[in-house]
Amino acid sequence: MIADGYTGRKGKGGFYRINREGGGKVKESINLKTGEYSVSLKPSLESVDAAKLGLRAMLQHSDEGGQYAWRVLSKVLSYAASLVPEIHDQIHAVDEAMRLGYAWKYGPFELIDRIGGAWFAERLRTEGMAVPPLLEAAGDEPFYRTENGLLQYRTTEGEYLDLPRPEGVLLLADIKRRSKPLAKNSSACLWDIGDGVVCLEFTSKMNTMDPMIMGMIRKAVELIPAMGFKAMVIYNEGTNFSAGANLGLLVYAANLAMWEESKQLVKEGQDTYMALKYAPFPVVGAPSGLALGGGCEILLHCDALQAHAETYVGLVEVGVGVIPGWGGCKELLTRWTVNKRRPGGPMPPVIKSFETISVATVAKSAAEAGDYMFLREGDGITMNRDRLLADAKAKVLSMVDGYAPPEPVEVKLPGPTARVAMEMGVDSFVKLGKVTPHDQVVANGLIEVLSGGDTDMTESLSEQALLDLELDQFMRLARHPDTLARMEHILETGKPLRN
Amino acid sequence: MAEYQPPLREYQFIYHELFDPARTQALPGCEEFDGDLVNAVLEEAGKLYTEVLLPLNRSGDEEGCHFEDGEVRTPAGFKQAYQQYVEAGWTGFACDPEYGGQGLPNAVTLLVQEMLCACNLSFGMYPGLSHGAYDAIEAHGDDELKALYLPKLVDGSWSGTMCLTEPQSGTDLGLVRTKAVPQEGGSYKLTGTKIFISAGEHDLTENIVHLVLARLPDAPAGIKGISLFVVPKFLPDANGEAGEGNGVSCGAIEHKMGIKASSTCVMNFDDATGWLIGQPNKGMRAMFTFMNTARLGVGVQGIGIGDAAYQGAVAYARDRLQGRALKGPKSPDKPADSLLVHPDVRRMLLTQRAYVEGIRALGSWIAREIDVYERSTDKAEAQAAEDLAALLIPVFKAFGTDVGFDCANLGVQVFGGHGYIREHGMEQYVRDARITQLYEGTNGIQALDLVGRKMSAHFGRYMRRFFQPVAAYIEERQDNEQLAEFIQPLAKAFGRLQRASAWIAQNGMGNPDEAAAASSDYLRLFGLTALAYLWTRMAEVSLDKLDGEERRFYQAKLDTARFFMQRLLPQNSGLFSAILAGSKSMMAFEDEAF
Repeated sequence: MIADGYTGRKGKGGFYRINREGGGKVKESINLKTGEYSVSLKPSLESVDAAKLGLRAMLQHSDEGGQYAWRVLSKVLSYAASLVPEIHDQIHAVDEAMRLGYAWKYGPFELIDRIGGAWFAERLRTEGMAVPPLLEAAGDEPFYRTENGLLQYRTTEGEYLDLPRPEGVLLLADIKRRSKPLAKNSSACLWDIGDGVVCLEFTSKMNTMDPMIMGMIRKAVELIPAMGFKAMVIYNEGTNFSAGANLGLLVYAANLAMWEESKQLVKEGQDTYMALKYAPFPVVGAPSGLALGGGCEILLHCDALQAHAETYVGLVEVGVGVIPGWGGCKELLTRWTVNKRRPGGPMPPVIKSFETISVATVAKSAAEAGDYMFLREGDGITMNRDRLLADAKAKVLSMVDGYAPPEPVEVKLPGPTARVAMEMGVDSFVKLGKVTPHDQVVANGLIEVLSGGDTDMTESLSEQALLDLELDQFMRLARHPDTLARMEHILETGKPLRN
Repeated sequence: MAEYQPPLREYQFIYHELFDPARTQALPGCEEFDGDLVNAVLEEAGKLYTEVLLPLNRSGDEEGCHFEDGEVRTPAGFKQAYQQYVEAGWTGFACDPEYGGQGLPNAVTLLVQEMLCACNLSFGMYPGLSHGAYDAIEAHGDDELKALYLPKLVDGSWSGTMCLTEPQSGTDLGLVRTKAVPQEGGSYKLTGTKIFISAGEHDLTENIVHLVLARLPDAPAGIKGISLFVVPKFLPDANGEAGEGNGVSCGAIEHKMGIKASSTCVMNFDDATGWLIGQPNKGMRAMFTFMNTARLGVGVQGIGIGDAAYQGAVAYARDRLQGRALKGPKSPDKPADSLLVHPDVRRMLLTQRAYVEGIRALGSWIAREIDVYERSTDKAEAQAAEDLAALLIPVFKAFGTDVGFDCANLGVQVFGGHGYIREHGMEQYVRDARITQLYEGTNGIQALDLVGRKMSAHFGRYMRRFFQPVAAYIEERQDNEQLAEFIQPLAKAFGRLQRASAWIAQNGMGNPDEAAAASSDYLRLFGLTALAYLWTRMAEVSLDKLDGEERRFYQAKLDTARFFMQRLLPQNSGLFSAILAGSKSMMAFEDEAF
């Protein structure tokens, strides 16, 4: 291929190429037998569908995918099983190594448990493959089991021992194994994690924020003092802390022209986050992975954060054509306003907030999140994911004694004079072609909020006044067809639409 | 009695007053269709149909089609009538001028079709099926097929069919077994049996062009392995004329409840030569592109029959003297008052009228949107129009034919015992209308299409095209006192439709049975709400014109709108409760207990 000039996009094409004939963009792939390009087809394997019923269903499937999965997994898993006790005395160390070192979601012994060890051994036997002694010895017994709410592993001697957790490691998964939630609905749970601390866990798809989560937060605010608890951490063990608000719900409500209900959805979020902020007990947010949009705004309403080092925080609402509507604009504005090290004058908080929100800035680490006021002084960062909950719990407990809810903040904002200047700035970017027409519409909505609406520097605006501005602009944008086009596009393709 | 008169004034109201004719006329290819031309077309069609086709409606029903030695003879007079229909150019009125058609927009052809259905539904099947075949070849055929078949279908010398159903494969077309084997030279040999083929065999045209769903030898199982073929009764010769016979034969015709003058055939394909239309295994996609217009066409049948039944019932109620008005005689000089004095008769007549005029407005709205998406060069506008049509078509097809059937039934009821007597013609409307709820996807399937496909498509984008404008319309007129009697019930029904939609979206996601169980009630709720919106608009137009010469016409519109709002729309609250009751009462019922 290289000799013939098929060197990739800048040559005649590579294994793939983009065909732009006819004005479109068609992704094509090379046929390895003929060398001809044809339209890339998305393979559809029945075994992949079957995998929804579990890994074993995939391995049992006779199509190419099923065969491939079996050939790879049968060898990898029996190899791994043959290495204990050679490389380590116990299986859990191998599983942990594969999870941490190779980013496997489950270690090899956990996978064997999911497939069924006895079935796995039997199939290896039927196909004339060697069955590792450890697997043979286990017979019908799993490598892991839960006994009295504790996770146990099977030792090489065939007995079960409690899985050791090092000091400073606290896992919600362990707590969930041995206790029942204090409260539960389809999107969230409250857990008693000991010492008077409650953990709020999101359980919705991709941990998106929805009315059920809002309901659970309001419940927590009532329940925690009533039941004698002292503090709350917001934490979960999903891949991402929260991908943001449930956009599908919002789009559907807008498509049905349920404007009152949509508005209520936003208003309810605002009220809930305010109730969280001014709750009579300390709250620590403990994010890991993505914490975007509404998932970022909830963090902004916590007393403090204990973030995993790999946390990606950002207010990305403009990407889908709206502005932060659950107090994100308000929090950044007030945080910059009260920041002692900021430059003087009325404009810096407005400009700083605008710069962050208008381009959907996402901090690339917990450390960087401080640059944008997503993290404040005194917030903590934890390097080891397994220690995040323990650190958050310690932090919130340290705040219990003498805790008082934060003082309400008032801000003075420049109003229309600043708005006009900033709008002109955006306009010049439009003329340069750096900003799309709808970007401008969204940016102007954001400016309206951040400049304080119809106000001037003599007037003090309460947090509620800022929230009202957010709500108005959010609803105005949510009715815009270009916003709905952005939302629909990201829901369907996972990619932003630049309209 | 066959008392039908083309409702030309109604058509003018819909075409010129309710909707904006300029929007249609501005579309490419529609420039010449100004108001006068449109009125003239409608008048001419109405004249021919009532003079030539209407008299054959009852005789055709009595006589039915004849099947002898594999050939079908249509009832007496049909052949001559078809010739007149062809000579007047009506076979090509909706077709592309490139193939000899007149290129009328759907906004007009829909009304023409309505008159055809009202005069003679059975007759209308023949050109109707030809048009379906035309659409399929036009959209998916290659240039050679188009050049060969389209002019013949347009000039009416050949007719068409759609061969989908097989004994084991009805709603579920994935079960189609007819096979197609590729031949040298690019043709295929088709073998299999198709049933329920309307116009499958008859004596009206020189040739019959069958569009056949079949399976290639290497086709994947199920719906993704279906291809579409064109299979003529006679193979075209070198000059493109009907030549030697093909392996296509009619095995029998069905004996049906209604549309007896329309031949419904069992078609046998025995190594019949055919040609592929569109891509292999993409037959269903090809079908879907004209499913919209086909379903629109069936909905129109509901209006046509409904209007014919209404007109017959009104004429009878006016003349028939029976009983006295409850509050004292209205015509003391006569032996009895007319049926019109009785509240229940008035209820029936106004029910027919309110549904027919409302559904007609809905159909016209959709037809206009189809014109926009077929012709507009503005992409966003075309997309929005296509979305709206896709959403409303199952509503129009199912709700339109359900109320069309109800209207036919009420027509019989107004006649009392005489309605049951064949010579009055009213019972024929009931029998004829019944099929419209079944074919082109049963009304239950339409309801599933609405909740399963249309509601959820693109996170509700199709829904937006209806809900946002209606919401805005209501919002803008909230304080309009003159319209309050219409806007308020509309707003209530609309709110229920919104909530029912959200409920189905929410509950159907976890349990598809919930969406399916709600679907028929939901579709009816949707239909009623759409009609409430259109009746409000019709009332709004009429309010401005009450002082003019046509006071009576507009007053009647306003009064019919009131009747709809007060006497028909209230069904919506019952439907709403039923939807929210969920599926449990039906799904928990034990199978053995049935």
